Amino acid sequence: MSRFELYSPEGMRIDGRRSNELRSFNCNINTHPNASDGSSFIQQGNSKVICLVKGPMDPSYSTNKNGSGAGQSTSIDEPTLNISINYPPFANNDRRKKLTKNDRRLTELSIILTKCFLKTIVLKNYPRTVIDVQVTLLSFDGGLLSACCNAITLALIDAGIALYDYVTAVTVGIYDQVPLLDLCTLEENDLSFITVGIVGDSDKLNLILCEDKLPLDKLERMIGLGIQGCHRLKELMDAKVREVGFDLLNKKQ
Amino acid sequence: MNQEQKMSVISISLPTKHHNNELNQTLEDDEDINMLESETGSSSDPNSTANKTNTANSVVVVPGELITDDPTWMRGHGTYYLNDKTYSSVAGTILKVNKLLSVIPFKGRYTPETGDHIIGRVVDCGNKRWRVQIGAEHDAVLMLGSVNLPGGVLRRKNESDELQMRFFLKEGDLLNAEVQTVFNDGAASLHTRSLKYGKLRNGNLCVVPSSLIVRAKNHSHDLPGGVSVILGVNGFCWVYKTNYEQLGSSSSTTAGNLGAVEAGIKSATSGSGDKNDELSATLKETISRYKNCLLALSHCNIGIDETRLVAAYEISLGYGDVNSLVSDEVKEAIGEQLITAEKMRG
Repeated sequence: MSRFELYSPEGMRIDGRRSNELRSFNCNINTHPNASDGSSFIQQGNSKVICLVKGPMDPSYSTNKNGSGAGQSTSIDEPTLNISINYPPFANNDRRKKLTKNDRRLTELSIILTKCFLKTIVLKNYPRTVIDVQVTLLSFDGGLLSACCNAITLALIDAGIALYDYVTAVTVGIYDQVPLLDLCTLEENDLSFITVGIVGDSDKLNLILCEDKLPLDKLERMIGLGIQGCHRLKELMDAKVREVGFDLLNKKQ
Repeated sequence: MNQEQKMSVISISLPTKHHNNELNQTLEDDEDINMLESETGSSSDPNSTANKTNTANSVVVVPGELITDDPTWMRGHGTYYLNDKTYSSVAGTILKVNKLLSVIPFKGRYTPETGDHIIGRVVDCGNKRWRVQIGAEHDAVLMLGSVNLPGGVLRRKNESDELQMRFFLKEGDLLNAEVQTVFNDGAASLHTRSLKYGKLRNGNLCVVPSSLIVRAKNHSHDLPGGVSVILGVNGFCWVYKTNYEQLGSSSSTTAGNLGAVEAGIKSATSGSGDKNDELSATLKETISRYKNCLLALSHCNIGIDETRLVAAYEISLGYGDVNSLVSDEVKEAIGEQLITAEKMRG
């Protein structure tokens, strides 16, 4: 059992949220217009992530030639997607933790994300090209995979790459009988949780990751809450993309 | 009741422009945060952000947004379809041409089209072709057979020309060319079979987003101050010293074909060298001023054409030294002045 009271009888979590409450969400696109084709910044609580997308470009310009992407070989009629996650030591709260251990986990996560986004990008539009995606964590407080997923979605949209829909992801944990939405590090350390990624406004799961043991009968409720959280995140991201687009249109006149 | 509670999600987000009114209201109501509760099936709620944005700017579409369920529309770029419904696949604006429906993305790489006047940089040389970087998804190819050889002679290329390819154009050289054909995968093939195309010298390259370049009949212009510019459709712009020799001879070419060939020989022999001319300090300053004006226009997201560039140049003269044009404030001021000046003129 945890040292902390993760969910009080009054229905409050450790940081004062309700069970179904997202952390404060803030995002921006086109943050690095000169360094990349598309870029985004995402803040979910104290997790901050930036994402840079380079491409679609000629395979010869790719900086990540033997990347960890699932589609490694440059195929004739599909793009190669390279996603690399950069988790610098300063992003972590814990000074003692050995980050070398994280390397294999990050590789695994990037493969999961690659598979997810290969289903989302309209592949037939980008034959014989490479899309390089770099995700950098500026500060980490839970929801690694979900923050990366949301940042990549926004950066790809900013780069003008054709997508079938948004992919938004969120973590859901379980405390006794109560599913908790969007966990922070303290909760993630002590609770079993899953990460769910949803396509647009639908109920289609494009991404699901469970790294802990979990009672099966609770799973449905957790996914249900996750879907609601994802839809809300999609609305927030959508509003930002439209706002930036509308500003651009006003300027052009 | 309990079930309903489960299905809703509470979220807090930083107040944006759209929320300003709401925020003021909530502050008056003595609440400290702006809470939005979205429930399934509560889309009739007028305070929902999704509703607000949909009505406010319906011209802007985002990936996955339903554009139409009318199957008679033809689906163009930036769209996909599922069960006879057309969806957008990029964030951008809808363009309807007759029955063709396409979405123009806000940002994106340059897509070559036949006949575009573009500027590129040679990155590779060999196998009877040069590979040219043009800022598109793919590098363009320039075949040995589609360049004019120095001396202006038109003849078949043989092996000795193949060996001398690096003498004509080598890695790192900048050239202007026209898109000859576009392949299925979007790669372009270029040609420089005209006197106005070929290697570039005596100038400075400036890269702006390709969406800002306004397509026109002519993309090379002579500007006041003894400077010329080529506004490549791919967003690469070349600002250089006006070549008065060529200017004089090109006007005489209208007289007859013989003149054209002569001028071709003249310009080709003078133009293929790698050596830049001696440029005076004032000329260099003018070139960099024009370059900074291009950057200022791109910073302010203003479409670039000849008249606007000249207008921006004239405004920039009021800001004194060229160095001062680098700062963002000056760039924005130039952009604003340009827009107000255009509005005054109507």
